[in-house]
Amino acid sequence: MASASGEQTSAEYIQHHLTNLVCGKTPDGWTCDHNAVDQMGFLAFHVDSLGWSIFLGLVFVGLFRLGIPKLSTEAPTGIQNFVEMCIEFVNDNVQSIFTSAKNNLIGPMALTVLVWVFLMNLMDLVPVDYLPTLAGQVAEATGMVEDSKDSYFKVVPTTDPNITLGMALAVFVLIIFYSIKIKGLKGFLAELTLHPFGKWMMPVNLVLEGVNLIAKPISLGLRLFGNLYAGEMIFILIALMLTFSSISIGLLGVGLHLIWALFHILILALQAFIFMVLTIVYLAMAHETEDH
Amino acid sequence: MNINATLLGQTLAFVIFVAICWKYVWPPIIAIMEEREKRIADGLEAAKKADDSLEEAQLAFDQEMNKAKAEAAEILEKANSRASQIVNDATEKAEVEAEKILSSASKTIENDVNKAKEELRQKMSELIIDTSEKILGDEISPEKHQELLKKAAAEL
Repeated sequence: MASASGEQTSAEYIQHHLTNLVCGKTPDGWTCDHNAVDQMGFLAFHVDSLGWSIFLGLVFVGLFRLGIPKLSTEAPTGIQNFVEMCIEFVNDNVQSIFTSAKNNLIGPMALTVLVWVFLMNLMDLVPVDYLPTLAGQVAEATGMVEDSKDSYFKVVPTTDPNITLGMALAVFVLIIFYSIKIKGLKGFLAELTLHPFGKWMMPVNLVLEGVNLIAKPISLGLRLFGNLYAGEMIFILIALMLTFSSISIGLLGVGLHLIWALFHILILALQAFIFMVLTIVYLAMAHETEDH
Repeated sequence: MNINATLLGQTLAFVIFVAICWKYVWPPIIAIMEEREKRIADGLEAAKKADDSLEEAQLAFDQEMNKAKAEAAEILEKANSRASQIVNDATEKAEVEAEKILSSASKTIENDVNKAKEELRQKMSELIIDTSEKILGDEISPEKHQELLKKAAAEL
C-alpha cells in the first residue's frame, strides 16, 4: 500500500482507488488538478480510463494485424492460429444469430468488441495497487503532484461507466442507423408506434417501445460496468485486508485474492462474450423486417 | 459515477477501432481462411476424382485382363488343336510312307526273288542241258538248245 500513508483510513483508501484522473475545462481553463474537478462541467475526460482503453485497442490491432508478419494459407503458426481461432469463433456466433440478413460490418465489430472488452476487463487481474502506485510515484517524481497520494489513477477502463456506455452509445447509433436503413424511416416509426396495441393506442405503444429501445444500450453498458465495478470493488476490499498489521488476516487476504482472481477470469471472459453477443443480437433485431 | 466527455471519447475510439478492424484486420484473415477452406475442398474433390479414375482404370484393367486371358486361352486351344493336327498328319503321312516303303521293299524282294529264281532256272537249265549234252554226247543245236532251255524254264 505504498500510496497509502499511515493516516489514510480504509474509506479513503477505497475512495482513492475509485477516483479517476480527470482533465477538464474549468472556468479558469483546462486543468488536470484534482481539486478543480468540482468546477468541471461535461467537458472533462477520464484520462486514465480513456488512455488504457485506447492503449488496449492498439494492443488488439497490433496483435491481430501486426502480430502476423506473413499470413500463411498452408499451415498457420503461433499468433495466426490464435487470431484465426478468435475470428472463427466470432464468425460462427455472428452467423448463428444473423441468419437472414447479411452485413459485413457485424463480424469485425463483434471481434473488436470481444477482444477489446476482454483486454480491458483483463486489467482487473493486475493487482489493484501496482499501476496506481507506479503512476503516483511517476507523478510525484515529475512534479505533477506534491504528494503521490494526490494522484489518482484508475486502471480498468470497464469499471468506468463512461467507457461502457460510450461503446453502448455507438451500438445504439448503429441500431437506429440500420433500423432506418433496412426498414425505412416509416417502417422504423411504425415499429415504434403500431404495436403491441394497434394504431389507436399509439402514445402507449411509443412509450413501451421507446423504453424497450432505450433499455438496450443502457442495459448493455451498465451490465458490463456493474460486473466489473463489483469485481474491482472486491479486489480493493481484499487488498485492504493486507493493510491490517495482522499476519493471519494478511494470509487470508492473499488466499482470498487468489480465489477471487481465479473466479474473476471466468467473469472477465464471460462479460466480454455477453457484450459481444448482445451487440450482435441487437443489430440482428435491427435488421429484422418481419411484419407484426 | 460522473458522466462526461469521456463517454464521447470512448464512442469515437470505438468507431475508429471498429473501422480499423473492418478495413485492415478482418478481411485479410477471413480471405486466407476462405482460401484455405476452398483448397481443402478442392483437395478432397481431387482425391475423390482420383479415386473414381482409379476405379475406372481398375475396371478397364480387369476388362483388358479378361480379354487377354480369353485370347490367350483361344490361342492356346488353337495351338493345341493345330499341334494335334500336325501330329495326326505326320502320323498319317508316316504310316503312308511306311506302307509305301514296305510295299516297295516287298516288291523289290519279290523282284529279287523272281530274278534269282529266273537266274536259277536259267543256270539250272544250262546245267541240265550241259549235263545232258555231256551224257548224250550230242551237240544240240543252238536252236534246239534255246528251245530246251525255254522248256526247262517253263517246267521249273
